[in-house]
Amino acid sequence: MGGESNNEGEMGLNHGHDPSMPLYAKADPYFSSSDWDPVVNGGGFSSSPYPSVVMDNPGMSCFTHYQSGSGYPDMPASLLPFGDCGGGQFLGSEKNGESVGRLMRAGESHDQVSDDGVSPTRKRRQAEAESQRNKKAVEEFQEDPQRGSDQSQKRQKDGQSKETMNKESSQSEEAPKENYIHMRARRGQATNSHSLAERVRREKISERMRLLQELVPGCNKITGKAVMLDEIINYVQSLQQQVEFLSMKLATVNPEINIDMDRIIAKDLLQSRDRNTPTLGLNPFSGFQGTIPNISTTTNPQYNSLPQTALESELQSLYQMGFVSNPSTMSSFSPNNGRLKPEL
Amino acid sequence: MERQTINKNKRVFSAEPTKLSPSEVFTRKYTSHLVPALKKLNMDKNSPQINQLTVKHEVDMALALSAQEFAWSRFLLEKLSSSNNPTTTISSSSNGTRIPERSCKEDEDGEIEEKLRELQKLLPGGEEMNVEEMLIEIGNYIKCLELQTSALKSIVQDTT
Repeated sequence: MGGESNNEGEMGLNHGHDPSMPLYAKADPYFSSSDWDPVVNGGGFSSSPYPSVVMDNPGMSCFTHYQSGSGYPDMPASLLPFGDCGGGQFLGSEKNGESVGRLMRAGESHDQVSDDGVSPTRKRRQAEAESQRNKKAVEEFQEDPQRGSDQSQKRQKDGQSKETMNKESSQSEEAPKENYIHMRARRGQATNSHSLAERVRREKISERMRLLQELVPGCNKITGKAVMLDEIINYVQSLQQQVEFLSMKLATVNPEINIDMDRIIAKDLLQSRDRNTPTLGLNPFSGFQGTIPNISTTTNPQYNSLPQTALESELQSLYQMGFVSNPSTMSSFSPNNGRLKPEL
Repeated sequence: MERQTINKNKRVFSAEPTKLSPSEVFTRKYTSHLVPALKKLNMDKNSPQINQLTVKHEVDMALALSAQEFAWSRFLLEKLSSSNNPTTTISSSSNGTRIPERSCKEDEDGEIEEKLRELQKLLPGGEEMNVEEMLIEIGNYIKCLELQTSALKSIVQDTT
């Protein structure tokens, strides 16, 4: 029966997704088994956030989904740039699951399809947002095998013979599945191993891009890989230019630096301390202790040979105190620092 | 945390060195590398004009040394140490030449690939990484660049 093949097909995927099993079972009345086979090979099982598009909610959720009237029905697969969400599922189900097709508001589905040209960007954004969330769920799902993901990708690419698993039953997927990322091609998507691996890779890239989005200022509202990448490129370039500019400036003022080095370090520590650190942190000081006396075999003598104003000598003594990294001296460093500021 | 630093009467220094944020650690490492190096430059040459490129070299070197946990710093170090004439490896002017290789194929994907390649060029050693790795490293690189910028700013401000 279709139920059986469905269940078997889903077994591999359902390691972490038991809820999907009963859903497929429920889906039996709606889909014949033959209809489900390509579906069963399919893609990510994002359970929760991805309402209807997910494979595991074929008839039921399609139906409910349409009833809820969310935007997801508007996502034919062709519009999904990456993440290849299950919009194809709907199309597929329209073609194959006639019963489902009737259940779904057919007119609406046609409208959706015709809407493609109208507002592709909007749908794409929705799709992307959804695909991202989908990816999350997919990635959670992929936790275990993720380490082996590269291997699995290679294996998938190498194992061309596994294309047999695409159309037929997904049973052949089960055996190699253990180390594989449990990806499934969604309905309507190419399901050869190349595409699967490709999709996984793309999803990873999108995940990283999202992280980058948080890093680059002002990119929260940007959706779209290309624009985002542009922004990142611009930002990196501007940072590099800033560094160049500052180093140029540094070069011009460098001759006067000799006196101020200690002060710079002190100031930097002070600033950063005021900003961030809960503690002065013995770490940097131990680092300094290690570095400043040693760093220099060249600079150490220079410290001593610097023309010393009263301030400098005080600074140096303070540094020496600080660099002993004795907690008692460290603590005494603080009031000294506090005193130091007005003097600076 | 903030109140602790403000209230200096409290001896808030803990003996645990691990309470620093990574950016803190980086900034301190960076200044500790750069400042003495600059000083040394200054002292050694004893000439009023410090070569810009040399300074840039030191700046980059300090960056690479302070961020050794990242892959790109390795590449940067290699570039810096291999070429002893301090060529600015991160010259932003050289990014103007970009040959669109895939303009004919899959337009959107081609565009994105193009941009990814461009990004790879910006990152030291980026071209030798695959894309996913590169994206991670770019994040680190950006963060370190930001910290470097602020450190340099404070250095420059102190001396002017």
